Amino acid sequence: MPLRAFEETVLPHLDAVFNYARWLTKNTADAEDLVQEACVRAMRFLSSLRDDDARAWLFAIVRNTWYSRVSRRANMAEAIPLDGARDVRPDGALDPEERLLQQHTVALVRAALEQLPVDFREVIVLREFEGLSYKEIAAVVRVPIGTVMSRLARGRERLMAVLKLTAPMETLR
Amino acid sequence: MSCEHAERDLDTYLDNELDAATAMDIHGHLNECAACRRRVAEREALGRLVRAAPYYSAPDRLRARVLAQTTRARSVRRLLTWAAAAVLVVSVGGGLSLWRSAVTLGDAMADDVVDSHVRSLMASHLFDVESTDQHTVKPWFLGKLDFSPPVADLASIGFPLVGGRLDYVGGRPVAALVYQRQRHTINVFVSPALNDVFTQANVQSLRGFHIHHWVHDRMSFWAVSDLNEAELTQFCEALEAS
Repeated sequence: MPLRAFEETVLPHLDAVFNYARWLTKNTADAEDLVQEACVRAMRFLSSLRDDDARAWLFAIVRNTWYSRVSRRANMAEAIPLDGARDVRPDGALDPEERLLQQHTVALVRAALEQLPVDFREVIVLREFEGLSYKEIAAVVRVPIGTVMSRLARGRERLMAVLKLTAPMETLR
Repeated sequence: MSCEHAERDLDTYLDNELDAATAMDIHGHLNECAACRRRVAEREALGRLVRAAPYYSAPDRLRARVLAQTTRARSVRRLLTWAAAAVLVVSVGGGLSLWRSAVTLGDAMADDVVDSHVRSLMASHLFDVESTDQHTVKPWFLGKLDFSPPVADLASIGFPLVGGRLDYVGGRPVAALVYQRQRHTINVFVSPALNDVFTQANVQSLRGFHIHHWVHDRMSFWAVSDLNEAELTQFCEALEAS
């Protein structure tokens, strides 16, 4: 039975899967638990994987596992208000070095992305980090392609609005 | 092309997801319109910014844990194979190993079915299409799945259809049909029956939910609800007969 296949199917995507899980949970320990639980499920259901798109299949399992955990705990993480980037202000005088500026920008972007509602955040992560096509994202998130488009557009608008207030966009231009 | 038009398709254009003709139109518009070019530049800068956010690689300890998990599963499986082989040798029953893997998969499916049911109720994502009309619900699945689920309305016997959605159960996309009985929700997950898995009809309870499974016309059905056993049985029989 396909345990060898499991390793070949899952391990190559472990970084991608973990990155997605980390952005969903916003926490390393939770992301590790989530990925491990998702792997158990993936192992059970390996025979249902038909085509070669193991990565999108794994994202879908991670996402499902996460929603199950959230609803099991009846603890919608999204209900917790996040004040990430609110009080972070760039101060040019304090960041003279390019490297510092860079780190600062990364922190701002991370905070802005974490602040986004998960529906927007996950499509942006799947698109920008993993380069999934709209069709693949639609399959993972289980929404029509049109919804993927509008979530991407709205998510980016929101990010743009937050970052325009905080980050020096020109620095990366 | 107007700016309004171009703006609407800008993300799709930058993501290379537009059809060639529209992309050409946008391209033409950008040559003429400085404001839209600025928007493109902004979007591209945003993309670079986002991609500069941390990419979290899997920690080594996680990789080790996952590997250990598969190794453990492999040795358990090997043990089961030996046990099944031994049983075969004394010719008690050749179907046992088949039966065992079917039971394991059936349990895993039941578990996942309950998870999806709970998720649908708690994440307030019960419907993608909300309708009591089977002629609205059935066509809605067209193009979203590679099969067409049978959709019946059982309102006449007190189980009205209330909607449907796409779901993901047992690692596969499925059609979820939602029925109502007073205040109880019944989720029915439908997908083509796979030859190699669990085709036995069965009834079980898990975490306070009743689950019925059957195969009809090469379609696999999983019905789950907190409705009492008798009424759920009545519902399933009616659905199977419809």
